[in-house]
Amino acid sequence: MKALSVNQVNKYFHEPVEFHVLKDVSFEVNKGEFVAIIGKSGSGKSTMLYLLSTMDTDYKGTISINGTQVTGLKQNQLARFRNEHIGFVFQFHFLLPEFSVLDNVMLPALKLKKKSKEEIEHQAMELITMLGIKGQEHKKASRISGGQQQRVAIARALINAPAIIMGDEPTGNLDSKNTKIVFDIFRQLAKERGQTIIAVTHDDEFAANCDRIIELSDGVLV
Amino acid sequence: MNTNQKIARVFLTSKLRQLLVAVLSVTFGISMYVFMNSFMAGVNNEQTEITFTSMPHIKIYNDLSSEVKPILPSPNDSNTVLMVNNARNIRYTEGIKNADVIKDKVLSLNDVIGVTTQLNQNVFIRNGVSKASANLSGIETLSENQLFNTAEYIIEGDLFELDKRSNGIILGIGLARTIGVGTGNNVAVSTSDGISKTFKVIGLIETGASAADKTRALISIQTARQLFSKNKSYATEVMVNIENYYKAQEVAATITPLTEYKVEAWQVGNSQLDSANALRDIIAIAVSLTILIVAGFGIYNIMNMTVNEKIKEIAILKAMGFNGKDVVEIFLTQSVVIGFMGGLTGLVLGNIIVRIVDNIPFEIATLTTLPVVFRTSDYVLAFGFGIIITFLAGYLPARKASKIDPVDILRG
Repeated sequence: MKALSVNQVNKYFHEPVEFHVLKDVSFEVNKGEFVAIIGKSGSGKSTMLYLLSTMDTDYKGTISINGTQVTGLKQNQLARFRNEHIGFVFQFHFLLPEFSVLDNVMLPALKLKKKSKEEIEHQAMELITMLGIKGQEHKKASRISGGQQQRVAIARALINAPAIIMGDEPTGNLDSKNTKIVFDIFRQLAKERGQTIIAVTHDDEFAANCDRIIELSDGVLV
Repeated sequence: MNTNQKIARVFLTSKLRQLLVAVLSVTFGISMYVFMNSFMAGVNNEQTEITFTSMPHIKIYNDLSSEVKPILPSPNDSNTVLMVNNARNIRYTEGIKNADVIKDKVLSLNDVIGVTTQLNQNVFIRNGVSKASANLSGIETLSENQLFNTAEYIIEGDLFELDKRSNGIILGIGLARTIGVGTGNNVAVSTSDGISKTFKVIGLIETGASAADKTRALISIQTARQLFSKNKSYATEVMVNIENYYKAQEVAATITPLTEYKVEAWQVGNSQLDSANALRDIIAIAVSLTILIVAGFGIYNIMNMTVNEKIKEIAILKAMGFNGKDVVEIFLTQSVVIGFMGGLTGLVLGNIIVRIVDNIPFEIATLTTLPVVFRTSDYVLAFGFGIIITFLAGYLPARKASKIDPVDILRG
């Protein structure tokens, strides 16, 4: 079973003028693979990622994640699916600024309700420790540094042990030291936990160190 | 507390000033609702009470029959013309001969709390050369007092003295002044039949209605029967008070089959009073609901602002797997919490305002302070309306929030 399979995906933008963003894109990603999607700006790589994320459902073709075809599922089913199987890391951390670091990490698991609150808290603390942000967990998310915030966002993405972690320029806003930290974390996750990682990136060095590079140019796979 | 409620709490408490404004708008709306309704109900009660100092809830009397029976049967033959000129409706009986029987029957009804009989006639009262026409009432002192609290309005003498002294009379203060008598003086009462009798003034009454005080004269009903040469159980009116005077018409309908006399609820002759009460109630409800709706718009506005401010957070929550229903729940919880907090403080504030108003001096007629009533139903309704309006005002922005497309927001 593939972690991800994309079959003949076409995507159009209708506003402001009709525009064919993705043209017959098909590819597959294996479990535990660390894949980078690259391409010039406007090539459709971010659009591709949002299709994979199941948040954007306006496309033709089919997408399957972990053997489940997500194309055609209802919004509520997709929300549930995202909650359980997909973790996100964005360019901007997108934490909830009024919540503590710990609450931010725990939220997706509290929503999933598969474990008790104590277990979730324990697990969240483990992730926080693993990502080297221990000691910050009771601070508000808006009160820690940018590199720390990005690591909190990664911890949040990992809390439900998702099969796939998706990153939209996860290191785009970080300095080289923090970029390396984040990259190493991803590397480790793919290797040790067998989690699939798909990251859209501009960073050539980041891409070069991945298992595989998928390059998009004007909506076509290169 | 579940996850959605926890998120709602954090959103709500992150902007304390906004929360305060939203809660205050509900507080104000609900306290005004309580105040308006308590005050209007107080005014209504006061009005009605003044009216019922001299008027019963239901009156039974001998009325002219409204239908005039034809003297001749209508002809069967189409060639015959029936012509009756000047047909008259003649009164064959006067007053109620067997008032005690009616009184007993009516007293056995459930809703009735008091029944009294009166014998009313117009008479002349003289003191030497000064004379005045008066409305002489023969009354049963005990039950009269039970219905109208007559004893409270006696400013000199004692109402119950009438039972002990068959030549005693109590005069309205205006009447006594007109003919120039005081307690202890003698007056001559002459009836339309030409009978004259001397009474001793044993008391004065002042009800505050000056027209009545200028014509009113009270004697015991036994004395009145003697004066007008009527039988033992004779009365011109049987007056009935019931528990809830708004049910007077229903009770009147149950009394009607018990007697051949006319049974009249107070509303029939006093529709102005009834309509004034209804109009005041409508004004109170309209004004207070308007205030509540304005408060609702306030909440709508604040919740809309909150949704716009939190649009990014909503997108993130949706990306993490929260669905539309969760988002509605998060924002609806916030407005319902605002509704509850504003509602409870509004009830307390409303109660305080009503208590203050209750103590504002207002010395006109028989009033000493502004009239208010304390009714649980006002508070329950105010709270209920408050919750309904905050719920509606919160639902629209919540639904808007649930429809946010996370891709639009997250891609920037």
